[in-house]
Amino acid sequence: MSVPQTVGVRPARKRRAFSVARWLRTFGTLIGFLIIVAIFWQQRPTTFMTVTNWLNITQQVSILGVVAFTMTVVMVVGDFDLSVGTMASLVGIIAGTLFQNEQPVAVAVVAGLLAGALGGLINGFLVSYVGISAFVTTLGTMTIFGGLALYISGGTTIFGRVIPEAFGNFGREGLVLGSITIPNLTLLALAVLVLTWFILEQTVFGRRLYAIGGNREASRLAGVRVRFLRLLAFVVSGLGAAAAGLMLASRLASANPKQGDGLMLNAIAAVFLGMTMSEEGEPHVLGTLVGVLILGVLANGLTQLNIDSYIQQILTGGIIILAVTLSSLSRRGQ
Amino acid sequence: MNSLSAVSSGPVYTTMTTAVDPSPGTVLLAVRHASKSYNGVPALTDASLELRAGEVHALMGENGAGKSTLIKLLAGVLAPDRIEVEIQGRPATLHSPQAAYGHGLRFIHQELNIVPQLSVAENVFLGQRYPAWFGTLVRWRTLNRRARDVLAMLGVHHIDPSERMARLSPGDQMLVSIARAFAGDDSDNGSRALVYVMDEPTAALTGHEVDLLFEVINGLKARGSAVLYVSHRMEEIFRISDRITVMRDGRVVGTRHAADTHPGELIRLMTGRTLQQVYPPRQTPVGERMRLTVRNLRSHAVRADAFDLREGEIVGVAGLNGSGRTELLRALVGADRRLSGEILLDGRRVSLTPAMAWRNGVAFVPEERRSQGLVLSRSVADNITLPGLAWLSRGGMLIDRGLERRTSRSLGDTVQLKMIGPDQTVRELSGGNQQKAVFARALTRTTRVLLLLDEPTRGVDVGAKVDLYRLIRELSGQGAAILMVSSDLPELIGMTDRILIMRQGVLVDEVPTAGLTEESLLSLCYGETAHERSTDGGR
Amino acid sequence: MSRLFRLLLVMALLVTGFALPVSAQDDAPVVAVLTPYLAQPGTQFMVEAFQAAAEAKGWTVNVIDTAGDVAALNSRLQDVVTQGVDAIVINVDPQQVPALADAVAAGIPVFGMDAGSVPELVVNVTSNGYAMAAETATYVVDRLNGVGRVVMFIFPPYPPVQKRGVIAEAIFNNTPDIEIIDQVVPDVTDGGIADSRARMEAILAANPEPGSINAVWAAWDQPALGALQAIEAAGRQDEGIIIVGIDANPQAVEAIAQGGNFEASVAQDFEGIGSTTADLVERYLNGETLTQTTVYVPTTLVTRENARVE
Repeated sequence: MSVPQTVGVRPARKRRAFSVARWLRTFGTLIGFLIIVAIFWQQRPTTFMTVTNWLNITQQVSILGVVAFTMTVVMVVGDFDLSVGTMASLVGIIAGTLFQNEQPVAVAVVAGLLAGALGGLINGFLVSYVGISAFVTTLGTMTIFGGLALYISGGTTIFGRVIPEAFGNFGREGLVLGSITIPNLTLLALAVLVLTWFILEQTVFGRRLYAIGGNREASRLAGVRVRFLRLLAFVVSGLGAAAAGLMLASRLASANPKQGDGLMLNAIAAVFLGMTMSEEGEPHVLGTLVGVLILGVLANGLTQLNIDSYIQQILTGGIIILAVTLSSLSRRGQ
Repeated sequence: MNSLSAVSSGPVYTTMTTAVDPSPGTVLLAVRHASKSYNGVPALTDASLELRAGEVHALMGENGAGKSTLIKLLAGVLAPDRIEVEIQGRPATLHSPQAAYGHGLRFIHQELNIVPQLSVAENVFLGQRYPAWFGTLVRWRTLNRRARDVLAMLGVHHIDPSERMARLSPGDQMLVSIARAFAGDDSDNGSRALVYVMDEPTAALTGHEVDLLFEVINGLKARGSAVLYVSHRMEEIFRISDRITVMRDGRVVGTRHAADTHPGELIRLMTGRTLQQVYPPRQTPVGERMRLTVRNLRSHAVRADAFDLREGEIVGVAGLNGSGRTELLRALVGADRRLSGEILLDGRRVSLTPAMAWRNGVAFVPEERRSQGLVLSRSVADNITLPGLAWLSRGGMLIDRGLERRTSRSLGDTVQLKMIGPDQTVRELSGGNQQKAVFARALTRTTRVLLLLDEPTRGVDVGAKVDLYRLIRELSGQGAAILMVSSDLPELIGMTDRILIMRQGVLVDEVPTAGLTEESLLSLCYGETAHERSTDGGR
Repeated sequence: MSRLFRLLLVMALLVTGFALPVSAQDDAPVVAVLTPYLAQPGTQFMVEAFQAAAEAKGWTVNVIDTAGDVAALNSRLQDVVTQGVDAIVINVDPQQVPALADAVAAGIPVFGMDAGSVPELVVNVTSNGYAMAAETATYVVDRLNGVGRVVMFIFPPYPPVQKRGVIAEAIFNNTPDIEIIDQVVPDVTDGGIADSRARMEAILAANPEPGSINAVWAAWDQPALGALQAIEAAGRQDEGIIIVGIDANPQAVEAIAQGGNFEASVAQDFEGIGSTTADLVERYLNGETLTQTTVYVPTTLVTRENARVE
């Protein structure tokens, strides 16, 4: 490296002082999560803090997790994808319809993932190359995917004997380790988590995605192929939605044209919760994991506490706003 | 104190500063022993400054010398560790922006703080109560008339108050934000400011607009106000100021009468070292090999029929604001869409996009570092390595943090970037250091074919400027061709071998730098407009 | 800042703390009721009747509505199994609830309340959907004397409603001079009325001739009400278009009582289903063995004649 040599000036070294606001900003949400866990533990000492229950929770959030982790990738770029929920529904229906036509599991899985990638490609193309806003684009494709799911299925739920036993069992079984069984869905979600983390944090691709999210124009002028990478981010979230749709169909051993629709809002909420844990307010897949766990633990614990499901909704929404508010307050207080 | 609290709670118009019309030479504002540290790191140490009625007082210093901190203390946006302030001989406290305003201090900031979606008039009176019917329905015509009056006070007549801010040129936007500082001086209520603090007001202005501003400043002097004028531009400072205070490392190192000093002394005070020459002379001759050949380049904004750059050559691009200098670089690098154009790098025909440009050894330093240059939310290392990730990683795929940090550190040292470390967020750097980070990025590639620099030293302190100039020289010495847009005419004359002249989006002329003076260069920039006017008249 | 954080934290704890006493009474049986459809009036009646009966028996009832999300219902079912409730009542197609196996494994009995019959359920209490659809479809055939053009509103995703459509379609197809113009699956996310109205308006526009539409058969009341609004808005209420629904919800009964186009609906005895379920749960918890796997609660055809009585 033949960098021109000039008189070296020692950079001024400053110790970064410990700051409560900074610390709270990064760990506030995590602490909140631990407090929630502690409350449930104290209230349901025998049933909540058990291995079985936690394995249940991980299985329950596994599908949301896969959607949220891949949604994180899109949100890193500064976009978001509203179509993941109906895409998950659609992929379930595609797999179910193939099962009805006596196709093997492998074909259904590959076709489902291809559909997800194609959907992501369409979203990415419209957003990145045509220049329609991500909100409008994915709102539109959300409706289209939902309509396609209803159309292909004729509005009916596909279930029963047409679903291959192996496919239905996958979502119910797991890796047996002595007395405990780690659900397959949990393992799958874990794999997606590790993969997403690796992509975002350890690859050049991920670094460029963060740069685009931080400043699109500056990234473009610095030689980042912004349009192509934005498109790829949507492909990732489409793939994630497809994987989630397959997991959902496996878990329910059925495919309903609406069964994935609710994933989208929760996934976005989880990413936002995770964003409260990063210094610059960037999406972060480990933060998203905490967000997903918060949502999962709240639903699990509040149900065990016999709390009315409508109150559950109010509490969940309140906690999301609380976390984001605290985070932005501590940011401002800096 | 009573009047002070009345000021901070009541409407901003009621000020106590109007009673006295100070005679020239009296001390309007005295600051003593101003100190401020952040997390134990001193930013300002025992700084003292006096502003007298009817003077323009320049404040100079490198980035991080403490100028901004001092100004923030005066503006009441930072709490001092220690300070003594006297306004017209009476002790005063500047604990809030309202208090500063009430004491007659007005601030014109470096970064444009305007709202692009609003009209000129709305921006001029932003933060004040707009004239309105029943307190709710804004009386637009009255508002526009008042804005026009304020602009007229500045001698600005060409800006329509109802125009949307976003449609104005950067220079005009600056004039409006200056007008905002004067908006409080409404003759109806007789309030008047004592001290105007201007932080790099000319950064985005063309020569003509600077002239306009200086006329206004002279008017303020005549009225007995004081102006604290912060700038890096030596020529301006000697043109407008009466006294000059220089800061270094958080301390005031000296105050001089403009008539008794010279640029060399000021630079020595600022940098702590003597400066042989601001612009280092060319060490190696311009090569023969053609590195860049451009033919028939057209975009929606520019037209350039032909120009070439040789190995080791530094070519400037001069022109007025809006003449298409920036757009020429953007079209070249593919940031704007080219309608046509043949570009040859080392004789090889290329079709450049920003990504292709970096891959071919073309580095681009854009004009606006915050909006176009940096990802403010990311670290210094991330920003420096962004265009070079392909070769600063394992196999172009996996991040190599060690290599990134080493590279950023060494490049940071090369451009004398002051940072806590490569992991520091770029947002936390001062403006000048941010620019250095952008500049450091252009050095990541070992094979440098062409550097496209758009205002490479804007907002950079003198010491760093010199370093950048030396760096540019060394790069050219290694064979890179350099195309440099600048509105700093001495810089163009001092650094370049040839200068391309842009007028109204067209490359109209190309002149050797030898023998050029600022005046002759400026008249080249203006020339064609006069000429075109005459041809228009002939039609 | 940190003071504010503490304040909010305390508030959050208080909210959680106040919500807790609901879970008291350890000795009384705890029954969880899970449904994704609580927003629908019929489900509400059932659940309320069940709650009323259960309260009379001194049980603690935990009603969980997953707002249309069947996957979430599976998760919540797992949670109440973990919690160790005494009995679970579901109001959803059990084919989509593989988590039932968890309950069976834990030895917790699950009852269907207008659900469907699968071996995992102790018993399913419901109305006979085939019979209800047959009643309204034959009503239409009889009123039209076997001749006419009919619009059907159906909803295949929900099996209990799906079977109604099948029967009505069979009856219409079995009548040679009845023609089914259209089978509409309305969007039910807003409750089903608004979209049904819009769809009906489109059908009316496509069939402008008076007499070109003779009847609207709806698999439940909301589309029937939407169709009624569309017909009235189009000013075609005097063409003698007959509308029938199923479920006889209050709005439908009122419309029938007014004597307009909406002529008939079938009243499921939701209260009966709810209270019957509660009785069966009680009998099971008392150790009785239930032989019948499906219990039908009788329904009533509601027409202008008996609508006023309601």
